Amino acid sequence: MAIQNRDSFLSNLAANLGRPQRRESVSRPEYSVQPQHEVFKDYSAEELIGVLKEHCKVIHTDFVRTDKSDLQATLKRVLDGYEAASIIASNDKRNQEYGLDKAYEEFSKEVDVHIWDASLGKENQVIAERTDVGISFSDITLAESGTVALMTNKDNGRSISLMPKCYVAIIPKETIVPRMTQAAGKIHQDNEKGIAPPSSVCFVTGPSNSADIEMNLIVGVHGPVKVTYIVVD
Amino acid sequence: MKVSLFITCVSDIVFADVGKNTVELLERLGCEVDFPAAQTCCGQPAYNSGYLSEAKKAMKQMIKAFKDSEYVVGPSGSCVGMLREYPNVLKGDPEWEQPAIDLANKSYEVTQFIVDVLGITDVGSTFEGRVTYHPSCHMTRILGVKEAPTKLLKNVKGIDFVELPVKEDCCGFGGTFAVKNADISGEMVKEKSRHVSETEAEYLVGGDMGCLMNIGGRMRREGKNVKVMHITEILNTHVKEQGGVTA
Amino acid sequence: MSIKISEAPYKERIGKGIDNDFMRQAVSSAQGRFRNGRLTQAEELGNWEDWRQLGEEIRSHTLENIDYYLYQLSEEVEKRGGNVFFAETAEEANTYIENVVKKKNAKKVVKTKSMVTEEIGLNKTLEEIGAEVVESDLGEWILQLDEDPPSHIVTPALHKNRQQIKNTFQDKKGYDKSDTPEELASFAREQLRQDFLTADVGITGCNFAIAESGSVTLVTNEGNAEMVTSLPDTQISVMGMERLVPTWEDMEVLVSLLTRAAVGQKLTSYITTITGTRLEEEIDGPDDYHLVIVDNGRSKILGTEFQSALHCIRCAACINVCPVYRHVGGHAYNSIYPGPIGAVLTPLLDGYEDHKELPYASSLCAACTEACPVKIPLHEQLIRHREIIVEEEKKSPASEKIMMKGFAQWASNPAAYKLSTKVARSALKPWTKEEYVENGPGPLKGWTDVRDFPAPGKQSFRSWWNKRQKGGEA
Repeated sequence: MAIQNRDSFLSNLAANLGRPQRRESVSRPEYSVQPQHEVFKDYSAEELIGVLKEHCKVIHTDFVRTDKSDLQATLKRVLDGYEAASIIASNDKRNQEYGLDKAYEEFSKEVDVHIWDASLGKENQVIAERTDVGISFSDITLAESGTVALMTNKDNGRSISLMPKCYVAIIPKETIVPRMTQAAGKIHQDNEKGIAPPSSVCFVTGPSNSADIEMNLIVGVHGPVKVTYIVVD
Repeated sequence: MKVSLFITCVSDIVFADVGKNTVELLERLGCEVDFPAAQTCCGQPAYNSGYLSEAKKAMKQMIKAFKDSEYVVGPSGSCVGMLREYPNVLKGDPEWEQPAIDLANKSYEVTQFIVDVLGITDVGSTFEGRVTYHPSCHMTRILGVKEAPTKLLKNVKGIDFVELPVKEDCCGFGGTFAVKNADISGEMVKEKSRHVSETEAEYLVGGDMGCLMNIGGRMRREGKNVKVMHITEILNTHVKEQGGVTA
Repeated sequence: MSIKISEAPYKERIGKGIDNDFMRQAVSSAQGRFRNGRLTQAEELGNWEDWRQLGEEIRSHTLENIDYYLYQLSEEVEKRGGNVFFAETAEEANTYIENVVKKKNAKKVVKTKSMVTEEIGLNKTLEEIGAEVVESDLGEWILQLDEDPPSHIVTPALHKNRQQIKNTFQDKKGYDKSDTPEELASFAREQLRQDFLTADVGITGCNFAIAESGSVTLVTNEGNAEMVTSLPDTQISVMGMERLVPTWEDMEVLVSLLTRAAVGQKLTSYITTITGTRLEEEIDGPDDYHLVIVDNGRSKILGTEFQSALHCIRCAACINVCPVYRHVGGHAYNSIYPGPIGAVLTPLLDGYEDHKELPYASSLCAACTEACPVKIPLHEQLIRHREIIVEEEKKSPASEKIMMKGFAQWASNPAAYKLSTKVARSALKPWTKEEYVENGPGPLKGWTDVRDFPAPGKQSFRSWWNKRQKGGEA
């Protein structure tokens, strides 16, 4: 690991700013306004779910609500809707809690099921590439923008939400917060406590899209073409 | 209330009626109007072209001319906007900074003055006709006067007021821009003229003669039959107590 | 490519833009949509001015302490297994990246959309050493295949229509389907998917680097940044040195401003934030990570009246409201940074010599200043440029100088001014017909080429006033 050319570069900046170089004792000021904390400030969990559901229409995302006992059946309907012949899912600790381990076992009788397996290395990417549907948990869910924040780790690769044609996010109800402010605040506070952020935090808001050709919105460019959010009570 | 008229060079030389209407309107609303004869141009043509030292000469002349005024009121958002910018331009000048601040603080565009200082939103005028309004860029975005002109217009009896599509778009005047980049300016004013036509208005009203001269000049070239008016002309059209409409 | 995109003179570029009907139609309709999107989002928040204020304060604090935060950023990147290279010039940046690519013996490089790599001309450098460089943003890919420069900083291929895109795909990639955007995009998906899977090196730009954790945030809709940062084992992020925020909390606010101001979205489909190399046992993400921090003229702007131009978050809101941009298009600016922010930045980064007309390509209508989500006083900075061009660079035309000297004498001398109010009408008389000038002389010619000019009235205001004061005819 190396840092190169830093000293001359930074001393030049300080010189242009007309002061000695700053290495310490800089703290962020108290900003004069902080409107980000006001958005959906006093909303109840139910109200936030309402916001999320409503915004799913804007972002071309299917919204489904269920509870733990019905999650398997709900997920099955979604996968059938996608005519999924293969799925890839994260090896999440929550799979057990939500009965998904059993569900995947059950599904594997009809479709190819791959649970992310760090020991297989790059093979996981190859599988993800040819798989129809990726499934993973949302770690923090932003009601305002209809966004799932995915924190990756060795059991939850980035490819799951990215490479397959369809993506299903399992959203535990308690992960829903008003907006990105709360997600970023959490990561910031963790970082201050010495818990560094994951190698990738991906904020996914519906399917990939582009308006690069004559400003026509095309849904589904490099990432998934279809996305479903399943909110679980 | 004592008011000094800041006529602006364009209205002084080209559109004297704008000055007449402004004077009569302010007098009718109870102001005592004077006209400091030492006033010239606010300096904007030089300032906006980058000729700072030339602009400052004009500015200093204007500061001198209005030194004793209580209020300075002008029929142009753009030119008054320039007066309000003087303190920034003359910042740090020991002799001129304070006088510049004094002038800026007492300067108003005419509709702004009527609504914000006189507290009047209905000037009691009458005008029959379909009217649209072009809110000039400097009036709205530099001076920050967004509501006053339309508030006053909408209270004119008999007026058929129609919003101009994409009204916030520049007409392409921009002072020296219209000459220096005449081709781009030309495209902008053609577009503005199209928008005016879409309203089917008989009258195009505005608060800046530079813009109106530009849009009006284009519409005349296109043979369009839309009359261009400074807002004071409409506001000064009223029924006298003795009877009879006057403008 | 570098900042400048052609050698054509200013007037020729403007004329070409104005004559391009398709481009103007496309730009006009795009501007309408962008503007509505931004205004709708602003209205929905209800306190947009507070958001702008916050955005400005964050940017201002960051730039005032840029050395501190860049130091912190580099420390944190290193802690997370990354390398950091500080490049004062485009050449230094290119050489460093070239060496990484060479060392990896890389055949194929995939990129996300990045203005700073356009600015330093990175693609050309890498192609010269035999690497295949693939732009993965759909718009950038189209332009790359067609060897055409971007005309907008968010939607770079705005000036191209579907027929042109179809033809490009046909000629360069053997495409044989229709010109519907869906089929064109689907073809790009297939083609680029293979590139993602086979690339040796991924190169990204950077929307915001987060100093506190050494992270880099990338804002996209297509998901290509996710691909580029997930699949290749080597990854290089290139950032203009000012694309920086202190913390995640600041990043969040600026991203909220960026996506709203740029495309009227609450968030784009992907906000990808990556930190260093992949961790133990992780499979996606690079095992070799480099962050290249580029100055390339930016440091000269620090401490000057233009410092706030470095606050720019590249949302293009100023471009999307600019009437000049609407009529001439992006290429007319002859810079990869077009529109109002381009007219401010380009002369700062690339000098006045080639770009001295740009600060004048504005009617100073201030729509840009009003739209800017971080409150850069763009139109005022254009005036500052004009002052420098006139007073320091001495690049203004001689005729203009004479005129302005005359102006100063006229406007500072009430007697001379008064005289002019008397003679103006007769001076224009030879050209006046029915109270209008239709074919004016000298500087009036540009005006009367497109519109009529009203003749000065029979009596000036001040002469009316004087008569009235004397009790004469009012």
